[in-house]
Amino acid sequence: MNLTAKNKCFLVALSALAGFVNGFLGGGGGVIVVAEMLAILKLHQKYAQATALLVILPLTVVSAIVYLVKGNVDWIPTLWTSLGVVAGGIAGALLLSKLKGNVAKIIFALVLIAGGIKMFF
Amino acid sequence: MQVFLLILFGFLSGIVGGMGMGGGTVLVPLLSFLDIPQKTIQAINLVSFVPMCCVALGFHAKNKLLKPQNVWWIVLPAIALAVAGALVADMAQNDVLRYCFAAFLLAVGIWQLIVAVRFAVRQHRQKRNSSQSTRNAL
Repeated sequence: MNLTAKNKCFLVALSALAGFVNGFLGGGGGVIVVAEMLAILKLHQKYAQATALLVILPLTVVSAIVYLVKGNVDWIPTLWTSLGVVAGGIAGALLLSKLKGNVAKIIFALVLIAGGIKMFF
Repeated sequence: MQVFLLILFGFLSGIVGGMGMGGGTVLVPLLSFLDIPQKTIQAINLVSFVPMCCVALGFHAKNKLLKPQNVWWIVLPAIALAVAGALVADMAQNDVLRYCFAAFLLAVGIWQLIVAVRFAVRQHRQKRNSSQSTRNAL
């Protein structure tokens, strides 16, 4: 797909926002990246979700290095959590190729809203 | 008990993250149930995401789900601002980061819900229209 100059500008601006959010909040940039892949690159949902990881990986590595250098990483809880995250990641990656319908998206949205409310109080 | 919860919360968010739906948006609020400062939670999320992402990408490459064309337009500006974001986070207070994350989750959650419900309504209408035209044809 050939991108127009306007689309390239949108991509750069939204990606910069995704990068800042990911570095500042330690996550969340993927949601913006998936959205721009759907809206501007016109990828189908599954491809957008998978390819977004290709983008999020380098920017997460860079953000993690800054957190590490600034002394914000506590290795013991990080290692235990990573164990669970890797196991869950394998399950999630296998599930994506079988994912159908809109239900997962609605559940995910409700989980986000619940998480947001919880973190405010 | 905390070790069990860390693994469990990691596993649940890993499922979402492996699907490319934003595992951090699940892990960060879950870890906030434990007595861990917000900045440490964010660092846990970032570091734990790296090995999971490598494994998930391997599966997606095998399933031919990766479309890397034009990805550089996203990667380069995102990396530049990610460094800036991480540096600003280091200067910010834990409570400020926590409220910002909460506001971000609420905004994204409401937006995703609207998109998903709109999609469901459109699908329902299409289904109804196609069954009506089949009945008319009979």
